Amino acid sequence: MTATHSRTEVLRGSPDGAAPGRVRLAAEHVRLAYDDTVVVHDLDLELTEGSFTAIVGPNGCGKSTLLRALGRLLRPTGGQVLLDGRAIARTPTREVAKVLGLLPQSPIAPEGLTVADLVARGRHPHQSWVRQWSRDDEAVVAEALEWTDMAELAGRPVDELSGGQRQRAWISMALAQGTDLLLLDEPTTYLDLAHQIDVLELVGRLHGERGRTVAVVLHDLNLAARYAERLVAMKDGVLVASGTPAEVLTEQLLADVFDLEARIVPDPVTGTPMVVPVRRLR
Amino acid sequence: MSAVLERPVGGPRGRTTVRIGPASAVLRWRQVVVPLAGLVVLVLVSALSIGRGDYPIGIPDVLRTLAGLGEGPQNFIVLQLRAPRVIVGLLVGLALGVAGALFQTFARNPLASPDTLGITVGASVGAVAALVLTGGGSVGALLGGFGVQLAALFGALVTGLLLFLLAWRDGIDGYRLVLVGIALWSVGGALVDWLLTNAQVYDAAAAYVWITGSLNARTWDQAVPLALALAVLVPLSLATGRALGVLQFGDDTARGLGLRLPMAQAAVVLLAVALTAVAVSAAGPITFVALVVPQVAVRLTGGSRPPLLASGLLGAVLVVSADLVTRTLLPEALPVGILTAVIGAPYLLWLLVRGRRRSTL
Repeated sequence: MTATHSRTEVLRGSPDGAAPGRVRLAAEHVRLAYDDTVVVHDLDLELTEGSFTAIVGPNGCGKSTLLRALGRLLRPTGGQVLLDGRAIARTPTREVAKVLGLLPQSPIAPEGLTVADLVARGRHPHQSWVRQWSRDDEAVVAEALEWTDMAELAGRPVDELSGGQRQRAWISMALAQGTDLLLLDEPTTYLDLAHQIDVLELVGRLHGERGRTVAVVLHDLNLAARYAERLVAMKDGVLVASGTPAEVLTEQLLADVFDLEARIVPDPVTGTPMVVPVRRLR
Repeated sequence: MSAVLERPVGGPRGRTTVRIGPASAVLRWRQVVVPLAGLVVLVLVSALSIGRGDYPIGIPDVLRTLAGLGEGPQNFIVLQLRAPRVIVGLLVGLALGVAGALFQTFARNPLASPDTLGITVGASVGAVAALVLTGGGSVGALLGGFGVQLAALFGALVTGLLLFLLAWRDGIDGYRLVLVGIALWSVGGALVDWLLTNAQVYDAAAAYVWITGSLNARTWDQAVPLALALAVLVPLSLATGRALGVLQFGDDTARGLGLRLPMAQAAVVLLAVALTAVAVSAAGPITFVALVVPQVAVRLTGGSRPPLLASGLLGAVLVVSADLVTRTLLPEALPVGILTAVIGAPYLLWLLVRGRRRSTL
C-alpha cells in the first residue's frame, strides 16, 4: 500500500483550507413529490464537512427520496438543495459530479463490462472528448482498484462477480470519481451480514482515511449506529430526530418511528447503542 | 509534442493508451481491427458486386475504374449503371448499423431496433400511401421524381417523432421506448395493410416491392442525397460515443457522473431516427440489419456495448453481400430485404428463446 499512497493527493477528497464544520450540502425547506404524491414535506438537513450521516426510518418514509434530492436526481417541488452554498439545480451537472458522487440502490452494470472499465467510468466528469484518458485518470483508477482490493478482479466482468464484490466495484468507481461528498442509497441491500460489514468498513475508511463527507441510507439500525457519527431519523416524510446514535436511538423513538417495542443496550464491541427488538406495536 | 503509446498498468490486456500532447484515448485493439477488417471486406464485396452482371468485370478493373482510371465502356457500366446501386446499399447498411447500435445501447436492450420500434413501418406507411393514394402512374412525376422517397422519409420522421414524444417523460426510459415502439409498429402495420387492400393491383405490386426493401434501379439520385445526409449524421453519432458509455448505466448513475441526461437521450434518439429515415427512404425497409448487426459487432469487438463504427461497416457489408447473393446466386432476382429477413428472423427467435438477462421485450 505504501507505494500507492504517494499518489493519494490526487484522490484526497477535501480541498485545501476546508474547515471541519462547514456546511457542504444542505436541504432548505425541501418538499419532494412524485407526480401528485408528496413524499417529503418541508425538510431541513445540513451535511457538514467530514461528517458521516446515516439516514434511517421505516419503509416508505422518504429517506431514499431525500437522498435522491440531495444528489440532484429529483428536483424539489418546494425549497432547494444547496451544494457549498449554491443552488444545486442551477449548478452545471458536470460541476456537481466533480464534487458529489452517488451510488444508487442496486445500480445496473451493462453485461460484459469489466471491473476496470466500470471504475474507469468514474472519471467521466473529469474527461472530455479530446482528453479521454489522462495520466491522472490512469493513476486514480489504479489506486481506486487497489484501495478497494479490486485490482485482482480488474479484468473480470462485473455481472460475474458476487454481490459483495460487485458493491466493492461500484464503491471503487465512486472513489475514482474523486468527489468530496458521497451519497449511498442502501449499499448493503441483498448482502449477507459479513458482506454488509465489509461494505460499511469500506465506506467508513473512505470517511476516516480519505476525509470524505458521507451520507448513507441504511435499514439496519445497529450497523447505522456503529458506523455513522450522526443519525437522522425520518417518518412519513418528516425529519423526526437528528444527533449522535446515542441521542437518536432511544426506546421512545423506536416506538414512535418504527412502531417497535425494543430495548437499547450498549454494543459489546463498540459501545454504540444496539437495538434488541421485543415486539411490534399496533 | 510527442505521441506516447503504453499499456495501462495493471489494466486488462489488449488495449493501448495513446497520448498526443493534451489529447489522450484508450485504444482496444479489437475495436480497431474489426472495423479495419470490415472496411477491407466491404471494399472487396462491393467491387465484386459491381463486377458481376451480364458483362463481368474483374475486381482489379472495378477498383481501377472507381479510382478514375477506367476506359470508355467500363467507365459507363461501373460508374453509371452498377456503382450507384451498390453505393446506396452500402450507405443504407452503414446507416442502419449505426442506428441499431444507438438504439440498442440507449434502450439497454438488444431487441431495440428501428424495425421493432416501428420507424421502418412508418416509412412504409408514407411510401405506400404515396404509391396507392396518388395512383402509381403519377408518382414518378411527383416532386421531381422523389415523391415516394420523400413520403417514406416523412413517414419515418413522423413515426420517430411520435415515438420520441410518447416515450418522453423528463427523459426517456428504455423500456418505455420499446413498448411505445411496439405499439407504433402494430398501428403502422395495420395502416399499410389497410392501404394495400384498397389499392389497385398494379399499385399494390409496386408497393409490395417497396416495403420488402429493394436496391433495384437505384441511381446517383438516391446515392448523393444519402451520402450527404450520412456525412453529417454519422460523425455526430460517433461523437455521442462518450455519452453512450455512461448512458448504458442506469439513469441515476449516468446523472451522478455528470451527464446531461435529457439532452444526451434526445440527441441519441433523434440521430438514430434520422439515420433510419434517410436509409429507409432510399431503399425501403431492409429489415433486421439494424437488429442483427450491432449484436454481431459487439461479439466480435468485445466490450459492453455495440460499437458504432464497426456496426456501421458490418451493416454495409451485410446489405451489399445480401444484394450480391440475391442478384447472382438465387435463380430469381429477389429484393434484398427478403434475404436479410431470412437471415434475421431466426436470429431474433434465438435472441428471444435464449432469454438473456435484461433483454426481455
